[in-house]
Amino acid sequence: MFQPLLRIAALAASVFAVALAPTAQAQQLTGVTDTEIHIAAWGPQTGPAAPWGAVTRGTAMLFQMVNDAGGIHGRKIVFHPFDDQYNPAKTVAGVKELVEKAPGIFAMASGVGTSPGLAVKDYLMERGIPWVGPAAGSLHWVTPPQKALFAMYPLYADEAKLLVRHLVDKEGKKKIAIFYASDEYGENGHRGAMAELTRLGLKPAVEVSVNQADRDLKSHLLKLKDSGADAVLMWVNPTHAVITLKTAAALQFSPQWATSSTLSDAVMMQAITGGLWKNMIYASFGELPDADVPQVKKYRDAFAKYAQQGERWGVFFMAGIGFVEPLVEGLQRAGRDLTRDSFIKAMESIKGYKGVMGRVTFGPGERQGQREIFLARTDDTGTKVTQLTPWAEVK
Amino acid sequence: MTSLLRVENVDTYYGLIQALRGASLEVQAGGIVALLGANGAGKTTLLKTVMGLLEDQPDKGEIFFDGQPIHGRETEDIARRGIAYVPEGREVFRELTVMENLKIGAYARRDAIGEDLEGIFRYFPRLLERRDQWAGTLSGGEQQMLAIGRALMSRPRLLLLDEPSLGLSPLLVQEIFDIVKSINTDGVTILLVEQNARMALSVASRALVMERGRFVLEGSAEEVAADPDVQEFYLGLATEESVKGFKRYRRKKRWR
Amino acid sequence: MDILGNLPQVLFSGLAAGSVYALVALAMVIIYRTTEVLNFAQGDMAMMSTYVGLGLLVAGGLPFFWAMLGALAFAAALGAFSEFAFLRRAKEPTVLGLIIITLGIEMIVFGFASWKWGGDPRDLPTPLSPADVVVIGGVIMSYLELATIAISATTISALFLFLNRSKAGLAMRATQQNRAVARLMGIRVRRVEMGAWALAAVIGGIAGLLVGPATTVEPYMMWDPMMKGFAAAVLGGMTSLAGAALGGAIIGIIENLFGFYVSTAFKSVVPFAAILLMLAIKPSGLLARHYVKKV
Repeated sequence: MFQPLLRIAALAASVFAVALAPTAQAQQLTGVTDTEIHIAAWGPQTGPAAPWGAVTRGTAMLFQMVNDAGGIHGRKIVFHPFDDQYNPAKTVAGVKELVEKAPGIFAMASGVGTSPGLAVKDYLMERGIPWVGPAAGSLHWVTPPQKALFAMYPLYADEAKLLVRHLVDKEGKKKIAIFYASDEYGENGHRGAMAELTRLGLKPAVEVSVNQADRDLKSHLLKLKDSGADAVLMWVNPTHAVITLKTAAALQFSPQWATSSTLSDAVMMQAITGGLWKNMIYASFGELPDADVPQVKKYRDAFAKYAQQGERWGVFFMAGIGFVEPLVEGLQRAGRDLTRDSFIKAMESIKGYKGVMGRVTFGPGERQGQREIFLARTDDTGTKVTQLTPWAEVK
Repeated sequence: MTSLLRVENVDTYYGLIQALRGASLEVQAGGIVALLGANGAGKTTLLKTVMGLLEDQPDKGEIFFDGQPIHGRETEDIARRGIAYVPEGREVFRELTVMENLKIGAYARRDAIGEDLEGIFRYFPRLLERRDQWAGTLSGGEQQMLAIGRALMSRPRLLLLDEPSLGLSPLLVQEIFDIVKSINTDGVTILLVEQNARMALSVASRALVMERGRFVLEGSAEEVAADPDVQEFYLGLATEESVKGFKRYRRKKRWR
Repeated sequence: MDILGNLPQVLFSGLAAGSVYALVALAMVIIYRTTEVLNFAQGDMAMMSTYVGLGLLVAGGLPFFWAMLGALAFAAALGAFSEFAFLRRAKEPTVLGLIIITLGIEMIVFGFASWKWGGDPRDLPTPLSPADVVVIGGVIMSYLELATIAISATTISALFLFLNRSKAGLAMRATQQNRAVARLMGIRVRRVEMGAWALAAVIGGIAGLLVGPATTVEPYMMWDPMMKGFAAAVLGGMTSLAGAALGGAIIGIIENLFGFYVSTAFKSVVPFAAILLMLAIKPSGLLARHYVKKV
């Protein structure tokens, strides 16, 4: 008889409490309860950068594996991924909503893209919310190092340097052109390549930038061709890479292409270019998906069990695991008494950790966890990938 | 003998304003019926109501064409039944050629139109000269001819003519009315709305007078022309000059 | 940089790009003239038709020609349905209201495509490889670009013939000029309007099927061509079919000239700068016809 009344009263009371104490609560939202750890991530599932959205789904699988294995010190991870379409405005809105609504977010995992990440970086850092493994290789994450930001993605600039060094030293290329997106990602690659060319005493054949919205790249490719470049460093998004190769083919322009780890999913690129992804040299931040190493094998086997229909065991899905493995490791090391401070301390204790990516080392003042990369190359058919160089840090 | 067009107790509203108040009218096949009335009496509204051009109108009443109800029908269906309407202000398709305007007039027909074109050009030889010109480049009189010609291309049984003399020189008005008369002689029944009452009555067999949304007088053209009020208000006879030189109506109200 | 030596190549590339913009512009003008609506869903309706073509080709296993024909049939149905289901429902619509309706259609179509086919770009395989080229007078012309220009020119010519020579085309022009009087002629104007939407969607669909093989098929594939096409339509005066076709070619060409000779970074801004200039000099557009009403 009284139960419905009681329930209504309880509901009213809780509504009242929420209405009364939003500010007080906002300060206390840690995203950790006795049984749960709330972690969020943004990643484009639609829009131009959608192929990189597999990162977020990979992260989701890792958390699910952790939960199924019993969680972390009695807590399950509750994962809040959302689609920001690679649109920084949407990233900000999504992050704020999750962070400011009970129970809050303990930490951010992965998070695709330089521009979306930059849009929320200060917001997260001001609140001391840890962020592990931004899925973008920008210098901005670590200059200057932030207490709560643990970068995993090797620097784009380092990739560009290694690629230029390889093209000049090993492939004998002399005229290297730089084709880059006019955003943070493209600029980072551009800067790295320029630095390495300068070190080698060379000038670029031409520097051409491309806007995200453009779909007619004929004038861009004509410029590249006109420069007489024998190699082109291509620092663009997947769609632009497709249009670039198709347009180049139509202009009978066939330099040695080299590109960043963001286009390292050779299987996908071969499919969406209709078979033009041949003899592509690219940087890689993680083991090749079909690598015969135990760290990769473990997840490859789990993938068969966990993955949704239509999902593919590709570079980016695996990267979503690799970027976030140290986060799980940090949570384990922090123990049952989990606070943001204890977590950050635990993260700083990670040295030489090897998961599906290169070796990871954090420490007090050291926030770029991974610096190792290697170069790979697709063969004449575009289907077979071989590792060109061993894992190495770029000096 | 059934009437070709029968309008019964029709009320039409423009928003909150009532433009037709229980208007009733019959048009027998064969003649020319002139519809007289002052500005705003509801003459054009009546024609538009017949053609179904006013959305959700008539509000009340019934309209029959050739014994079949047509009120509440789509304009295009009413037109296809054999009523052609030449709207006030001509409304030719300005960016179509004269020829195209005539062809579009025969849009609903499937048979050959060559003979009809010849007929139109016989009525209006000037249209033949200008056949490949855009209609928008024609003079007012030529546009009126084109509008009538376009209407005839559908081989209508009833032709509704709205103010064919508007803005034309007296000479052109005479020419147009001569042709209206011969169109009628060729077998098309005509309902003619006209401000120029003298001209209208000169060609009409019957005439009706409208005031404030209803018919107030009906008869043969001669009877109507002989009515003293018609003479005073519409034919401009028997008026006296006021001291300031303006025309002054002796009796302002009669049928209200 | 060989300034003049590259000019023919740049012009050719610009024309190939511009012929796609011309199709989008024509589609927009057809709808604008018939129903006075700026159809901002034009691009995404084309995108959806392209996906349908891809589906018929890859999943359905149809021969290329039939798959593309199927895509255009779908485009016609989508265009007619949009007019019937959304535009016609508007009671006493304002210009702004109608634009918002088309934006709504755009969101529905884009949302549906993203949900149904995901965001991953896909390849639309054609019988032509991008590497099949002929070289004429030093200008490298890919078969795909030549086909694009040829198909676009054929479509435009067919459209002009249809509008100027056929009875249905005449009815469409009459409806565009004076809807009420067109009804008096016995023209079923709602069908004409629905037909105009279907026709525009087919022309847009052809643009989509030409963009797909040169780039990728993905939900946002038509955003850029759509904006350029809109720019071309405005440049041409919004009501002129010839103006739209010419506007498309002009935008494709100046954009490529600017991209090659000045800066690729601001290439996409140029068409809109051209519009601003146009509006300042001749607000009615390149070929819009206006009457001085005779008294």
